[in-house]
Amino acid sequence: MSPEKSLKRYRTLLKKIGWSAFTILFVVILNFFLFRVLPGDPVKAGTHDPRFKKENQEAMRVRFGLDKPVINCFETLNPVQTGDCWINPFETQFFLYLRNLARGELGISYHTNGPVSEILVERLWNTLLLIGAGQILSIFFGIVFGLFAAWKARTVIDYSALITGLVAWSLPTFWLGIILLFWGSAKGFPIGGRITPGISSFPLSYQIADIARHMILPTLTYTIVYMGEYLLIMRSSLMDVLSEDYILTAKAKGLSTFQILKDHALKNAMLPIVTIVAINLGFTVAGAIQIESVFSWPGLGGAVYEALERRDYPLLQGVFLLIAVSVVIANLIADLMYSYLDPRVQME
Amino acid sequence: MADDIILEVRNLKKYFQAGRPGWFSRREEFVHAVDDIDLQLHRGEVIALVGESGCGKSTLSLTLMGLEEATEGSILFEGVDITHATNQQRKKIRQRIQMIFQDPYESLNPTQTIEEIVTEPLVVHGLTPKPEERRERVRQALEDSGLKPAEDYLQRFPHQLSGGQRQRVVIAGALVLEPHLLLADEPVSMLDVSIRAEIINLLADLRRARGISVIFITHDLSTVGTFADRVAVMYLGRIVELGTMEDVLKNPQHPYTRALLSVIPVPNPRLRRKRIILEGETPNPIDLPSGCRFHPRCPLAMDICRHKDPQLLPVSDSHAAACLLVAQ
Amino acid sequence: MTMALPTAELKPSIPSSPFTDFWKLFRKNRMGVIGLVMLVLIIFVAIFAPLIAPYDPDSSAGITSRDLYNPPSAEHWFGTDDAGKDVLSSFMYGARVSLIVGFFAAFISIVIGGVIGIVAGFYGGRVENLLMRFTDTMLVIPDLPLIVVIVALTRPSLLNIIFVIGLLGWTTTARIVRSQTLAVKSRKFVLRARAIGAGNGHIIFNHILPLVMPLLVVNAILVISLAILNESTLSFLGLGDPTVTSWGQMLNFAFGRGAMSAGAWWALVAPGFGIVWVVLGLTLLGHGLEQVLNPRLEAHHLMPGRPTVQGEANLQPAPQGIKRESPVLLDVQNLSVNYVNEGRIMKAVHNVSFQLHEGELLGLVGESGCGKTTLMMALMRLLPAVGEIANGHIYFHGQDLAALTEAEMADVRWSGISVIFQGAMNALNPVRTVGDQIAEAIRKHLPEMPPGVVDSRVMELLELVGISAEHKDHYPHQYSGGMRQRAMIAMALSCNPQVVIADEPTTALDVMIQAQILELLDELRKRLGLSVIFVTHDLGVVAEMCDSVLVMYGGVTAEYADVDTIYNAPRHPYTQELLKAFPDLTRPDKRLVSIPGYPPKLDALPTGCRFAPRCPLAFERCTVEMPELHSLNGGIHVASCHLVEISPRPPSSLMPRRVEQD
Repeated sequence: MSPEKSLKRYRTLLKKIGWSAFTILFVVILNFFLFRVLPGDPVKAGTHDPRFKKENQEAMRVRFGLDKPVINCFETLNPVQTGDCWINPFETQFFLYLRNLARGELGISYHTNGPVSEILVERLWNTLLLIGAGQILSIFFGIVFGLFAAWKARTVIDYSALITGLVAWSLPTFWLGIILLFWGSAKGFPIGGRITPGISSFPLSYQIADIARHMILPTLTYTIVYMGEYLLIMRSSLMDVLSEDYILTAKAKGLSTFQILKDHALKNAMLPIVTIVAINLGFTVAGAIQIESVFSWPGLGGAVYEALERRDYPLLQGVFLLIAVSVVIANLIADLMYSYLDPRVQME
Repeated sequence: MADDIILEVRNLKKYFQAGRPGWFSRREEFVHAVDDIDLQLHRGEVIALVGESGCGKSTLSLTLMGLEEATEGSILFEGVDITHATNQQRKKIRQRIQMIFQDPYESLNPTQTIEEIVTEPLVVHGLTPKPEERRERVRQALEDSGLKPAEDYLQRFPHQLSGGQRQRVVIAGALVLEPHLLLADEPVSMLDVSIRAEIINLLADLRRARGISVIFITHDLSTVGTFADRVAVMYLGRIVELGTMEDVLKNPQHPYTRALLSVIPVPNPRLRRKRIILEGETPNPIDLPSGCRFHPRCPLAMDICRHKDPQLLPVSDSHAAACLLVAQ
Repeated sequence: MTMALPTAELKPSIPSSPFTDFWKLFRKNRMGVIGLVMLVLIIFVAIFAPLIAPYDPDSSAGITSRDLYNPPSAEHWFGTDDAGKDVLSSFMYGARVSLIVGFFAAFISIVIGGVIGIVAGFYGGRVENLLMRFTDTMLVIPDLPLIVVIVALTRPSLLNIIFVIGLLGWTTTARIVRSQTLAVKSRKFVLRARAIGAGNGHIIFNHILPLVMPLLVVNAILVISLAILNESTLSFLGLGDPTVTSWGQMLNFAFGRGAMSAGAWWALVAPGFGIVWVVLGLTLLGHGLEQVLNPRLEAHHLMPGRPTVQGEANLQPAPQGIKRESPVLLDVQNLSVNYVNEGRIMKAVHNVSFQLHEGELLGLVGESGCGKTTLMMALMRLLPAVGEIANGHIYFHGQDLAALTEAEMADVRWSGISVIFQGAMNALNPVRTVGDQIAEAIRKHLPEMPPGVVDSRVMELLELVGISAEHKDHYPHQYSGGMRQRAMIAMALSCNPQVVIADEPTTALDVMIQAQILELLDELRKRLGLSVIFVTHDLGVVAEMCDSVLVMYGGVTAEYADVDTIYNAPRHPYTQELLKAFPDLTRPDKRLVSIPGYPPKLDALPTGCRFAPRCPLAFERCTVEMPELHSLNGGIHVASCHLVEISPRPPSSLMPRRVEQD
């Protein structure tokens, strides 16, 4: 590759990373102001929460400077109270929020009285486990069924796949979860959580098997809902690709149907899937919130549900930030992957 | 006779910015789409602009229409400099200069009826507020364009017409404003050969009946035939040869014109000629060749051609070419 | 004035507007209609809930503790809930909330997204950059968590929920509308409107909006369903408006208040069923609308083709072809191709016969829609799924290609007959390198060739067509138009075929590049001794290159002769008219005459001679009787015209002839 082209690629890469960094900054700022602009300044109000220990209230007040003005010129934003504009910007809540964020401090949960960051780290892995398994399965089945539907277009296989996809797409995730839970509990599946309490004394293989048993229903819910969408996209994408002229060229060259599907259709048809996976990450999180709420899965989505139920605002703030930042980063990765896969994008 | 000249183009240049100076590169790059063109068009005259894609003929027409801003030089229309006209002036001028596009499938809005399409210019310019008068003008324009009787077409949609009929609708939409100058950008190249003649003949009849001047842009000289009075051959943003149709066809001076004429297929198997086939493709209009911009592909290139940029010099009263061989 | 009047063009039938056309198509779309009916039903239920609901869900009058979680019964069709209320009544009132939130929130989103999309797409530049950057930023922020946070921090009322969902749901709309606006803006009719003198406002409202609207409607349906799903999720998470009954809230109560342990499936199924009903209805409607507005042939190149039939007996035997010294390579006899779609049969090619000799270059000419490409695809057995060979034989090396199985045919393709397709950009796979695509064919047909030899053969082929071998690892988009066509030629030659079909190989190329490609093709044909069928509408190219010419009209042979006869002594009026319309640079004073009208549509073929409606010499017989193929000059010239029969030159006897197989 010529140096000019590699410079160009490098530049595009930097641009994309820079843009994601900017988006993260936007999320960070949004996360601060949302919780202070909206009624009642729950962060400040929450420090009077009866569940919240006195020493924690004090620690929070000092660390997050809750007695300091929100930003320059404004003591509080809701209700709006103006203040000193010439105050040292480092003496504002906003700066302290950024400083604490840089140190990885996201506040103290009203409910557990422990640091929010610690709660989230553990839950992030649980969510990744669930989403990861669900994504892999739904992408796999979506692609396989979509492939068959398009290949066997206008046959019974195609129509049943299409209807299945449309119905699956229309199911509210949480409701499907409830129905599966209702059905599963009668069949002896665990009704919630990640692991049976007290099993930690058993050998590791038992524990893994137990987690897997707990994962079956949530993963199934996830797979059904998202498979529908991937199936529809794969089908329509492959229908487009298979009616392209280069497929006719491949057929004219004497290649077999299998060879054409494998060497000419699959990669081209997969490209839109990569984009959709990226754009879908936001929806994926939405799905995780619903599934984890229904199955009491101790992940980030479950944390949202608990934070809402318990009015635990520091936890809600932390979860939101972590989810948003993860989605932005995952989006960046998918975007870079796309430009790796499609030579036309690569060279631009 | 300055009055006789309807359009005069002086040193016209149109560059497009290709690379923007940014954090990583300081170099500014330009596409030299139209690079120093002089041209005079007489009232009632038809001139054919001929060249391959990328020679700048379409950019030239868009610049003349005011749809692209000229980088340098001036355009005089009916004696008035319109190069940097304001939007108000421009709107007035557009009643007098109209354009016909290459693809009649693309240049009609599929959601409008033929009547709406042909009426639109009148509405935009606030002409003929009386509905009967307006309808009469639209009807007249359609029939002048060969869509008779107009009533059969008014309520139809473009997709219900054939390619030739659509191009007639486009022409009617231009005629309804009673223009003095018509820019026809490859008006027949998307049509089947069997119906090209009817569009060319229609334009020829309009020119005869209304004295409209026409700039006919094409990549294929054979389609213009006797319709054009003069021919301007373009290569990489420049006019390399300019002369009457007869001058150029019978006595081409520039090596590029000769090559271009030789490769146009002739429908006569007894006349299989020796073709001059140029090597390679038209160079990138960003990095222009030094000297004569045709020299890298010229079969007759001399040493001097690499350094000296030839000017358009007269060969006879009606014929000029930009080639150092001609100048000698 | 000899202006050709469009007299032969069709008189207008009843003018139909795009809207009536649309409705006609939509009515046939089963999914769309089912979706619409589902929606109409649920909207009916929502509007008339107070009239048809058996109980008032807000009133707890007369409910006792025995009424909690009662299974479905005659009084309570859907059972009762945790508070003893009638689930069916709540279900009916719940439809109102879902639909209100869905429609109003989507309205907000569509307006914001539509305005941002159109403004960004239309004005471009800095405005676009700024708006789209903002949109992209909003797009990656996951919307449900954000909606949850905002609703949790504000008072959860219906109005709040509508606004929050509406204000956050516009991003995809903005992107879709922007790209559609860009696409519409680049179309020539917008440029034409500018050339007329129209201002931005006029263009946006008269030219952009009408073309963005259909897409916006389809998108609106998707946005409505997302808003409904978001609302139900919010309510399920306990963030719904406590003063109204919604489906999500019913699920929240049932799930949170022991419906699971009580086994009260009805309290869980009914509200969820409502959500699925609405969303599925919307999805089906959206899917149907999209199919109608953006019709794609639900067909592709891998669908199984129709088998060959021999459906036309008693055809006049194939006339003798043009005599040549070299042996016949490809002998096509009485070939007919039909398109069969939804029971309708369209005769695309009818009774075409010709012989291709070794080393011969046969030109196949005619206007677009005359069946040229269909005929070529039939030779390669590459007809679309609706096409079938309805009659005839294609003899190649003694084999009838029309009778081969798909697998047998795959061996003949490329190693026996290869194709240079029109538009090489689309005929090459954009995500694979050019060299790889050439090598693939070699590997298929010469599997014993070692990889290193394949590689050097690819480079050799590229050099042969004038592309330096180092370009073999480049992708098609890195090639120029001329290079792509050269690569296509290299690919066609890769397996040493005897016959090459060139289907308009130079269309859309500049004259000089066209000359380069034609020169290359001619040179290679002579060097490699190829037989070529050259499909084109350019009579000039045919005259310069071909040995013999087959003129097709409306799917039948009009005239078939050697090139000199076609140009200097044509007998068919169609050939004569085509030549009159074709410009000749050596005769610039020639007055060109168009052929009025256009070729017949396949579903409305004339009863007699297919050219009769446009023929200047047509007489009565032509409109009723289809002319036979007449052999002239002892079989080297064939024309299908009644005039040939009448003409002083007597047609030579039609000798039935069988091909000597080698």
